[in-house]
Amino acid sequence: MSDASLAVGSGPATDDVGSVAERLGAARALFGRSLHIRTVDTGSCAVCESEIRLLLAPHYDLQRLGFFFTPSPRHADLLLVTGPAVRAMDVALAKTYTAMPQPKVVVAVGACPLGGIYAEDEVVHGRLENVLPVDVSIPGCPPSPLALLQGLLVAVGRLTEKVGRLGFAADLT
Amino acid sequence: MSEAGARTSRRGTTPGQAVRVMRAGPAAVVDVVRALAGVPGARLADLFGAIEDGGLLLRIVYALDRDGEYVVVEWPLKGREYPPLSDIDPAAFVEECEIYEQFGVRPSGPRLLNRLVVPPHAAHDFPRLGTPPPREGREPHAPHYVSGEAFEFPFGPVRGVALESLYMGLVTSGEEVIDIFLLQWHKHRAIERRLQGLPLEKALFIVERAEGLSAVANAWAFCQAAETIAGTTVPEAAQAARAVALELERLYNHAAALAALCQATGLSVGQAQAEAALEQFLRLNLACFGHRYLFGVITLGGVSRGPDLQALLHLLPPAHDELHRVTAALWSTNSFMDRLEACGVLSLEQVERLALVGPVARASGRGSDTRTDHPYGPYGVIRAADVNVAVEERGDVLARMKVMAAEAEESRRLLMRLAEAGAGEAVTEVRGQAGAALGWCESPRGESLAWLSLDDAGRIERARLRPGSFRNWRAFDDAARSRNVFTDIPIIEASFWLTVAGFAR
Repeated sequence: MSDASLAVGSGPATDDVGSVAERLGAARALFGRSLHIRTVDTGSCAVCESEIRLLLAPHYDLQRLGFFFTPSPRHADLLLVTGPAVRAMDVALAKTYTAMPQPKVVVAVGACPLGGIYAEDEVVHGRLENVLPVDVSIPGCPPSPLALLQGLLVAVGRLTEKVGRLGFAADLT
Repeated sequence: MSEAGARTSRRGTTPGQAVRVMRAGPAAVVDVVRALAGVPGARLADLFGAIEDGGLLLRIVYALDRDGEYVVVEWPLKGREYPPLSDIDPAAFVEECEIYEQFGVRPSGPRLLNRLVVPPHAAHDFPRLGTPPPREGREPHAPHYVSGEAFEFPFGPVRGVALESLYMGLVTSGEEVIDIFLLQWHKHRAIERRLQGLPLEKALFIVERAEGLSAVANAWAFCQAAETIAGTTVPEAAQAARAVALELERLYNHAAALAALCQATGLSVGQAQAEAALEQFLRLNLACFGHRYLFGVITLGGVSRGPDLQALLHLLPPAHDELHRVTAALWSTNSFMDRLEACGVLSLEQVERLALVGPVARASGRGSDTRTDHPYGPYGVIRAADVNVAVEERGDVLARMKVMAAEAEESRRLLMRLAEAGAGEAVTEVRGQAGAALGWCESPRGESLAWLSLDDAGRIERARLRPGSFRNWRAFDDAARSRNVFTDIPIIEASFWLTVAGFAR
């Protein structure tokens, strides 16, 4: 998707995070400080996983901001995807994404899902957006936990927008 | 053994770099392998194929740990079958499956070969190193007929928080894990295939990303092979800088393993403290070399930059003290220690039969470490890099944790001495030229091997990467079967501290 925004980059960020408090306020209003994250590895080198796990470490402590990791895609609002979208993971990735309730956002983590390491071929899709609608990309090899944190805040903004567009079932009838 | 080999040559110039390459005819190779397997302290380090002169050439790599020598037996194959080497040395079985999957050539006899990394839905033109086999390998499934009561509990490939993709089939009748089988093809990126035809610099970029948590070790092994081909001598300052990076990699990996172990046992306090130490180590990496996971440090002929020794001397002691405090506290936490004792046991016999490497082997009483057995770089050359190898006997999770803790202490000692001895930026040019060589390095997960064949233009004809993870995953089911229950499996996984990326490549 061309509207995927780069949360962190060498140049100026294309999506202004705004104040952290503002973003967190929005997340709090919508998700009651309970935004749940699911992770999927599509062929990473295991380093992005290490950085994601460190979000829970005392230095970053993601849970204090109201983010939680969930072992179930049905409870997840946000999908963190690492790796170059290996074709062998197609089924698992699609099942995970489909199982997530609306509204949902997909966050591509690291250089791999941006096509930065492997080009598209018979083994990998190369870019995650070839298989899933990517809302936010966090470049870096690997992105540091702080970069991940900023990316997550951008993703909260995307989620907020999506909630605004979501209609009620009653409106459709 | 020399009578069996028609051609014997010694590669490498420095005393530690002893590799013997011999070529064996079809009649002699079984005797050669039998003789090598019988040498005390010998272990099958690798077995892989390459297309050379239009035919398949198998290379059997034995590590003679007591003699400080690697023996590479080259075996040109004719036809689609060869006498099964796993009958002589069971450690060869996984590689035999791999060769079948990649080249379509199999050991003779009725033995079923397993699928390893080519996914089941792959088309016939899926990129492989050679021609595809007539029939794909068998799906590895554990036998399900255990008193008629057992069932398969599927787990994966999408697992818990930021865990690598891996399918575990846990065979159980309720609580005890009777059997386990793993599917690791989800992460296959065909890296060895990708490396073919690349110039060395481009290949090194991919090699580091084959298994990011062992980036330094794999890159070092790869560069060592390239440097041996070119006949380059890496400056001493650069060798020391490489060792600094390697020991830093070991430290952060062992801290991460400890954090994972605490998480697996549900000990959040220990986990938080171990992760605090881990984060300090990663920041130390950043301060020393400019990358939290030390990517880009090792380059062909040396290092891209020297370590910031001031930062090292300043930041290492507090980071390691933090880790030491956690370890000491865990030592006296009985509820934690009870979970580790007699959990995931591997006997010395199992370790030797499967030719395991690294902390997993050392925890079961096999004290092999390439830094002392096959000295390379500064190890065994400068006194500051003399390594004391930690060995435990019991082979359970506790023994592996003790080995890792002792290795972390040792890495700190080495780093402080290397910093005093001085390590700096230095590179010599590595000219790509035709040739082939073996490189090795002791990663945090054990011996990492790289075999490299280059053409006249210095491009890669065949690059074989064999990270420690590739050898040690094969023992995971043995450890998991040793009278363990469901909740022991993540504990055993943390104590092995392997990556799926390194296995599936």
